[in-house]
Amino acid sequence: MPDTPDRSALEALRADFRARVASARTDAELKALHDEFLSRKSGSVTGLLKQLGSLPAESRREVGALVNELKTEIESALDVARTALTASRPPAGAVDVTLPGRELPLGRIHPLMRVRREVEDIFTRMGYEILEGPEVEDDFHNFEALNMPPDHPARDMQDTLYLERPIIGGIWGAHRRDALDGKPPDAQVRAATLLRTHTSAMQIRYMQTFKPPVRIIVPGRVYRRDNLDLTHTPMFQQFEGLVVDEGITLADLKGTLEAMVQALFGSNAKVRLRPSFFPYTEPSAEVDISCQGCGGRGCAICKHTGWLEILGSGMVHPAVLEAVGYDSERVTGFAFGTGIERIAMLKYGVDDIRLFYENDLRFLEQFPA
Amino acid sequence: MKVLLSWLREFVDVREDADEIARVMSLRGFAVEGIERIGTEHTVIDFEVTGNRPDCMSVLGMAREIATAFQLPLKMRLAGPASMADSSKRGPATQPITITLENPDLCPYYAGGVLEVTVGPSPDWMQARLKAGGVRPISNIVDVTNYVLLELGQPMHAFDAAKLTNNEIRVRTARDGERLKTLDGQDRALTGDMLVIADGTRPVGIAGVMGGADSEVTDATRSIVLESAYFNPLSVRRTSRKLGLKTEASTRFERGTDRMLPGTALRRASALLEQIGAAQPQATVIAGSATDVALRAVALRRHRVTALLGVSVPDEQISRILVSLGFDVTAAVDGWSVTVPARRVDVAREVDLIEEIARHNGFDKIPGRFPALRQASAEMDPRITRARQLRAVMTGAGFSEANSFGFIARALAEPFGGENELVAIANPLSENFGVLRPSLLPGLVSAVAHNRHREQRDVRLFEIGSRFTRSGGERRAIAAVWSGAVGGDHWAGGTRPVDFFDIKAVAERIGAALGLELHAASVDLHAGNVGRMAAKPGADAGGPGDARWLVPGRAAVLTDGERTVGHVGLLAPAVAEQHGLAAVDAVFVVELDLEIAESIVAERTTAIEGLPRFPSVSRDISILVDESLRAEDVRQTIRQAAPPTLIRVREFDRYQGKGIPEGKVSLSLRLTFRSPDRTLTDAEVQKAMDDVLTALRARYDAVQR
Repeated sequence: MPDTPDRSALEALRADFRARVASARTDAELKALHDEFLSRKSGSVTGLLKQLGSLPAESRREVGALVNELKTEIESALDVARTALTASRPPAGAVDVTLPGRELPLGRIHPLMRVRREVEDIFTRMGYEILEGPEVEDDFHNFEALNMPPDHPARDMQDTLYLERPIIGGIWGAHRRDALDGKPPDAQVRAATLLRTHTSAMQIRYMQTFKPPVRIIVPGRVYRRDNLDLTHTPMFQQFEGLVVDEGITLADLKGTLEAMVQALFGSNAKVRLRPSFFPYTEPSAEVDISCQGCGGRGCAICKHTGWLEILGSGMVHPAVLEAVGYDSERVTGFAFGTGIERIAMLKYGVDDIRLFYENDLRFLEQFPA
Repeated sequence: MKVLLSWLREFVDVREDADEIARVMSLRGFAVEGIERIGTEHTVIDFEVTGNRPDCMSVLGMAREIATAFQLPLKMRLAGPASMADSSKRGPATQPITITLENPDLCPYYAGGVLEVTVGPSPDWMQARLKAGGVRPISNIVDVTNYVLLELGQPMHAFDAAKLTNNEIRVRTARDGERLKTLDGQDRALTGDMLVIADGTRPVGIAGVMGGADSEVTDATRSIVLESAYFNPLSVRRTSRKLGLKTEASTRFERGTDRMLPGTALRRASALLEQIGAAQPQATVIAGSATDVALRAVALRRHRVTALLGVSVPDEQISRILVSLGFDVTAAVDGWSVTVPARRVDVAREVDLIEEIARHNGFDKIPGRFPALRQASAEMDPRITRARQLRAVMTGAGFSEANSFGFIARALAEPFGGENELVAIANPLSENFGVLRPSLLPGLVSAVAHNRHREQRDVRLFEIGSRFTRSGGERRAIAAVWSGAVGGDHWAGGTRPVDFFDIKAVAERIGAALGLELHAASVDLHAGNVGRMAAKPGADAGGPGDARWLVPGRAAVLTDGERTVGHVGLLAPAVAEQHGLAAVDAVFVVELDLEIAESIVAERTTAIEGLPRFPSVSRDISILVDESLRAEDVRQTIRQAAPPTLIRVREFDRYQGKGIPEGKVSLSLRLTFRSPDRTLTDAEVQKAMDDVLTALRARYDAVQR
C-alpha cells in the first residue's frame, strides 16, 4: 500500500477484488471481502479515502471520485454476489438427492424356473395343457408301460434311485373333473418305489386317464444316479411333451420343435433331427439346435460341428399306446423331453450346472427380477 | 465301437474320408464320439452304437450300415478252411468231444471247434488291428477270438482241451454251491439260475460272461476247444448283473447276438488260426440247431410309412434300403412282406421297419408341420399358477428363489423328520444323498451357510417343492429362511437384526397370497400336543408337532384354526451348527404345507362385500395384565364381549419396564367399530368399551391404565 493513493494502486485493488469476488462461494467469504475492502476501521478502500486529505487539492477531487467509484463498484458487486448465493441455496427441507434410497429388497426367480415358465408359456400358446406329476413313481409307469419291461437293457441308460420302502406319491391332475369315467383322475401314486428317472412316467398316467386327443407338457424334477460334475447333477429338471391324435406324424414333431426352439433362442435358430434310440419312441430322434456360440459355423462350444444336442424325441412307440389302451392303428403321437438346465446353460452362458443348485445369491441376483 | 477304416474298407468300397463317413453316419443313427489317427495309415472312427443295435458292434455290422448309407454293395469274403467241412478228418492226437445242451431255451446252439495249436504271439498286423479296436493282444489263440469278435460281433472262447474232464462240454445251469475262479482271478459263487459251461465234473466257464481260469489257454496248451454259441440274452444279463461282471461278451449277448452267426464265426476263426500258423483244425462238433426258430416276417404297409413320417417315400427307395440292410423283401397287396435277418433283434414290428426307412431316407427330408388343434386345452395345473403367484409375492418381499436337491444327508434330515419318518434311498450315490428331504428347510439352511461363508450376510431365500415322509408320502411345500438384517445398511439408519415378527409377517404374507388367514400358537415342546404328525394326510400333516428344529419360545405352529398348515420360528442353534453356521447367527424359518393350504382355500369361494357406507369409530385402551397372557386370548375375550359392530382389534403397544409392576405388562389395543347400516353413536361405542373392560377385568384381573 503506497502512502498516497495513485491510479495504479487503485487499479491493483480493483483487479484483486474482482478476482476474489468471482471465486467467493459462501456468505462468510463475502463478509470477509467486505471487511477487507470496506470495513470502517481497516478496509483498504476506506484507508484510501482517509488518505485523500493528504493529497494536493487539485488531484484530491479527481482521485476522490475514482476511489468513491471503486467503493460503489465493490458494494454493488457484493450485493449481487450475496443475492446470487441466496438464490442458489436449496429451499427449506431440501434433501441431497444423490444419497442412496432406502433399500426395498427385490428377490429373484430362480433361472431354472424362469426357463421353465418360458417353456410353459410357449406351449400354452400352442394349445398345450401344462400339468405336474409325482416325483416318486412305481416301476410300471416309469419303465414297464414305456416299453421297458423288467431286465430290459435300456434301463441301464437311466441309472435309477430306489426307495428302501414304498411311500405314497404326490397328487396329480386333481383339478380335472373330466376323466374317462367322469370322476377326477386316480390322482395318487399308491406305492412309489423309485424316484422317477424322467417325466415320461406322466405320459402313461395321463393317457390311462384321458382319451385322445392329448396335448400336454409336464415339467418337473427327475432323479438319476449320476455323479456331480460340470454337466451332471443327480437331480435335474425336465419337461416332457406328448401329443397323441389321429394323423400325427414325424413332420408335426419337427415343426413343433422348430417353433419351440425359435421361441426360446430366436428366429435364426435351426433344428436338426438325428436318428437315435429310446425304448418308448419309434422312430426316435435326438434334436440338435444350431450352435448359439457360433451361429452354426463351428466353435469350441459345439466341438466344431455347428450343432448342439438339446433334446430327445420320437414318435410314441405303438407298444406304449397299446399299454394305455389306445388303438395304435387309429392314433399316432409324438413325445419329446429335455433338461431345463441344458436350455438355461445355453441361454445364459452358464458353464457349470452345479451353479443352479448352490443357491449363491451372487449368482441368483444376476438374473432380472 | 472303434472301427478301423482300412478294416472297414475290406467290406465296403467307401471312398469318402473318415470325417465325411462320420458326418453321414451320425445322421443315420450312429453318433461319432471321435476320430483317431494312428500314424499315417490308420484311422479309427469311434461310433456310438445305441443299445438296440448289437448287430452294429462289429466291423461287418457298421460296414453294412455304411454300404446302405453310401449306396454301395457289401463285400462278403469270409470262407472257412476246406478241412472244416469234413468232420471225419481228425488228427490221431486229439480226442473228439461231446457237447450236451441241458437247457436248450438258454443255449439252443453251440458249435465247438477242436484244434491242435501252437501257442505264441499273433502276427503284427493282427495285433495292430486289435489295438486299434481297443483290445490288448494276449496270444495268437485269444487274439483270433477277439479279432472275430471285432470283425463279426460273435463272442468266442477257447478252452484248453486237456483240462476238460471226459472231453465233455455240458451247457447247463450251475448247481448250488458250485464255484468258479474266472479269468480275472475272482473266485465266484454260482447260483442255480446261472448258465455255465461245464465239463464232465465242474463248471469251466460262465456262459456268455467269462471263462474259467483253470481251463485257460496257456503256453503249454496243445489243443483247444473253440466255443461259438448263442446264449439267451436275458439269462446272460441276469447272470452278469448278479455277478457284477460286465464283459465285451456279456454286453453283446445280453443285447442279443445273431443266432445264425456262430457257425460262420467258428469257420472264420479256424481259418485265421490256420492262416497265421497257430492251429490245425481237427473237428467241429455242433449241438442244437440255429435254424429251428423261423425268421420273423413283418408286413409293411405303404400308407403307414407316410402316416408316421409325414412324407411319402418312393417304393424303390423303401425296398433298396431294406434289401441293402439285409432284409428279405417281397411285394404284397398294400406294401411289402419283409423277412427280418436273425441279427436284427431290434426289428419286431412294422414301426421298426419304418424307422429303418426314415433313418436311411434321411430325417432332413421330413418337412416341418404343425399338428392341428381340435379342441381347447384344459386349464393349466392350478398348482403351477399358484407357484407363480407365490414367486411374485416372495420376490416382492425380497426373497430370492432357491432350488435344492430332493435328497440330503440323514443327519441333516433327522431334526426335521425323525428317524421313523425318513424315506431312505436304497442305493444312494453317497451318504450326502441318503434320504429324501422331509422338509425344504435343510436345503435352504445349507444355502444360508453357503452364502454367509461368501460375504453375503443378509440372506433371504425361499423354495417351492416336494418333501417326503413315510406317513405323509410326497407333499408339496413352500419354505423361506431369513438371516441377517432387516433392510440393508443405510445412511439414515433403521437397520436391525431380523426377529420372530419379521418371519411371522412372511408367513402371514404367504397365507394372504394363498387366501388363508393363519393363526399362530406357540409350540408346546414338552407336551408335544400341537399338530403331531398324523398318518392321515390333511388332518395334521404340516410337519411334526414338536418342531424340534425350532427354538422353544420363539416358535409357532401355524393353523387355519383347525388344521396345522406349517411352522414358523427361530432355527435351533444345534441345527444351524450342523450346516456350518455359527450358533449365534440367528436364522428364522417358515414352512407351509401347500397341499393342506390349497385344500383349505379350495373349499372357499370369494364373494365381495359392498364398501362401507358409514364411518368407523376407533377407541384405544391400555390395560395391565399378567405378562404370560397371550395376545390371542385377550383378542378373543374382547371379541366375545363386544357387539358385532366391532370389526377390528389390533395391538399397538406392549410395554414392560419403568412404572409397570414385575410380572405385568401394559398392553394397548385399538378397537374399531362400524355398523353397515347407520352411524354409531358415542353412547353405544362407550357401552361396548365398558363391556369389553368389564370382561377383561373379570377374566384377567386387568387394570385399566
